Amino acid sequence: MFALIKLIQSLFGALHSEGTPGQLAAGIVLGSFLGLTPLVNVHNAVIFAALVLLNVSFAGGVLGWALLIPFGFLLDPLFDWIGHDLLLAPSLRGLWTSLYNMPIVPLTNFNNTIVLGSFVFAVLFALPLFFATRLGVTRYRATIGERVRQSKWYRAVTASKAYNVYKMFRP
Amino acid sequence: MRVKIFRWKAIGPLLILLVIAGVLWWVFADTIARRESQKVGTQLLGAKVEIQRLHLDLAHGKVLIQGLTVASPHEALRNLLQADELVADVDLVPLTEKKLIINRIAANGLRFGTARQTDGRVAAKSGEGQGIAGRVLAETHQWASQFQVPVLQLATGKISFDSLDPRRLSTIPAADALGARADSSRRAWQLAVDTLRLGPTLDTARATLEKLRHARATDLATLNEARQAIERLKRARDRVTMLERNVTQGVSNLKSGLAGLDTARQRDYAFARGLLKLPSLDAPAVGAALFGPGAIRPFEQVLYYMQLARRYMPPGLLPRATTGPSRVRRAGENVRFPKERNLPGFLVRSAELSFQLQPNAEQPQRYAGRLSGLTSDPALYGRPTIATATGPQLGAGLMLNHLHDIPVDTAGASVGGVRFPAFQVPGVPLRLDPGAATTQLGFNLNGDTIHARFAIRSSSVHWTRDSGFANSTIGELIWRAVSGVSNLDVEARLSGALHKPGFAVRSNLDQAIGAQLRGVFGEQVAGAEKQMRDRVDAVVNDKVGPVRARVTEVQKQAQAQVAQQRARLEEVQNQLEQRLRELTRIRLP
Repeated sequence: MFALIKLIQSLFGALHSEGTPGQLAAGIVLGSFLGLTPLVNVHNAVIFAALVLLNVSFAGGVLGWALLIPFGFLLDPLFDWIGHDLLLAPSLRGLWTSLYNMPIVPLTNFNNTIVLGSFVFAVLFALPLFFATRLGVTRYRATIGERVRQSKWYRAVTASKAYNVYKMFRP
Repeated sequence: MRVKIFRWKAIGPLLILLVIAGVLWWVFADTIARRESQKVGTQLLGAKVEIQRLHLDLAHGKVLIQGLTVASPHEALRNLLQADELVADVDLVPLTEKKLIINRIAANGLRFGTARQTDGRVAAKSGEGQGIAGRVLAETHQWASQFQVPVLQLATGKISFDSLDPRRLSTIPAADALGARADSSRRAWQLAVDTLRLGPTLDTARATLEKLRHARATDLATLNEARQAIERLKRARDRVTMLERNVTQGVSNLKSGLAGLDTARQRDYAFARGLLKLPSLDAPAVGAALFGPGAIRPFEQVLYYMQLARRYMPPGLLPRATTGPSRVRRAGENVRFPKERNLPGFLVRSAELSFQLQPNAEQPQRYAGRLSGLTSDPALYGRPTIATATGPQLGAGLMLNHLHDIPVDTAGASVGGVRFPAFQVPGVPLRLDPGAATTQLGFNLNGDTIHARFAIRSSSVHWTRDSGFANSTIGELIWRAVSGVSNLDVEARLSGALHKPGFAVRSNLDQAIGAQLRGVFGEQVAGAEKQMRDRVDAVVNDKVGPVRARVTEVQKQAQAQVAQQRARLEEVQNQLEQRLRELTRIRLP
């Protein structure tokens, strides 16, 4: 329940933050990497660092992560297929062999079909997701955003302590 | 307004987070490594791997493992091995490439086959096809199941009968089929007789004959008519001859069918004999029945480990996919990309082992072993995996040569003076305590060809019999045959293509038990077989008798019909020809 409330807080907090639609969309895109790919991997540490260090919406990142986790599970068979095809493609064998025998790179688990498949999918999905989210946020703010901000339940949600924690990381 | 790209104020919290992560790693690294080692080991072997303590000393490249227990993948409450302590020297630089290179392992206090409290099998319980270990276990189990030899059913001295199901006898469907064929032949032949249409031909011929009787020699038209009638009769006879040939052929087939019924009955006798659960009383079969089920087990277990080695240590440098790490999400597959002149993913350069074979003995003997070149990529390492062990009354060696396309795996061991636990002899309620025995195992798997031998010899065997065995004549006989025997010499051999090798077991008890059994059991076997034959006859005769009679009747009927038609034609033809000859004979004045 708390997670759900937090998610709703994140959603509306992000939508009504002072950040630009681009910052929010970039945060969601970075968060989507965390949600779509298996979490405990080196590349996600880099994504997390980028989410913290870059001036993008952290709440958007949390939102993107939370929203795309179920899709990550659902799409695992597709990721497996993509990863399998890529890793066993004869034309790419030289590339993978070089990467596999380099320092550090194997620690990313790129040679796992799910990790590679989901990462490639997330990369391909990043641009459409970015533009679609940016457009959606712009439209929202221009249309019903102000009415939602004035509503009682929005005030109730944003008044909770969790919102205060969120505010520390808002862009 | 220019939007800032970096959030500089977040560097502090991020650094703090990194420091916290570092501290957590420092505190929990041993625990994490221990759990991961247990998880990976369990997944690889298909049996629980437990570690009491693991300490990483990365500064000195050492890993210390204490209290290692590896459960047996085959036996529920038995460990494959336990080790008091393992110290490994790890090469640190390859770890950055996710490669584990162990320069040396010193293992102390190894013990094999110790008892455990809980079932440590994982692959055997997870169902077929779970992971590589599960698949290999299922395959080897399936392989071993082909050697299920018939167990002696002599425990009570009674011959047990399974009920005879008439539906499983082959004579009855054969009789039904033959009856149907007989009916079909009868209909076909009747139709063929009808289609001969001899009636009009005969009527015409008889009318011509009548005219011929009143004709004179100068009545050329009647003479010609008579010649034509004879031609028609000849053609009709040809048709009858053809029909006769068909009938002869058909009758021959039906007779074959009757002979087939006799063959089917013999098969049914053999089938019914199988229901008697009678063992063959030949010496090799007795040996196989007594010791086969036990003797196949060591082969199955060695094959399991060798097949695992082939999966984890494949030859060549092509990319290889193995099951990925277990996690909440799908595991996927990990593909490895070995590269020439690079380090393999896993390598134990050398290991020194110190172990005991009978830790609970009064004076436990210490043994020493050595292992070298255990690697995930034999083609990169360039040398086969070799293991040796020596000690008092022990000699063992192993070589896994996966350097070439066709892997060659060889193992051999000879262990003396080891007390094996007493075991139940299958099918016979006798327990055999082999005492301090000498065991030999030789195993060679060259590609898909197997040659293996397992032998156990003891000069101090001890036999005990179950109480339920006391009143059994056969049991008494077997007991008499073996109770005085203090030597045991059993040898099992496997040879041939891996998927279906020949399996032979012999022992020094085969002749003795076989002779005793033949002496008394032979008459009972004969009596039981006769009884079973009578049962088969009782079921089969009801069906076969009428069919046999029907076939005979059809034969006679068809042959009689053909003969009758032929006779009618011949009679008229003869009369016509005779009259014609009379008219055309030249009479001299």
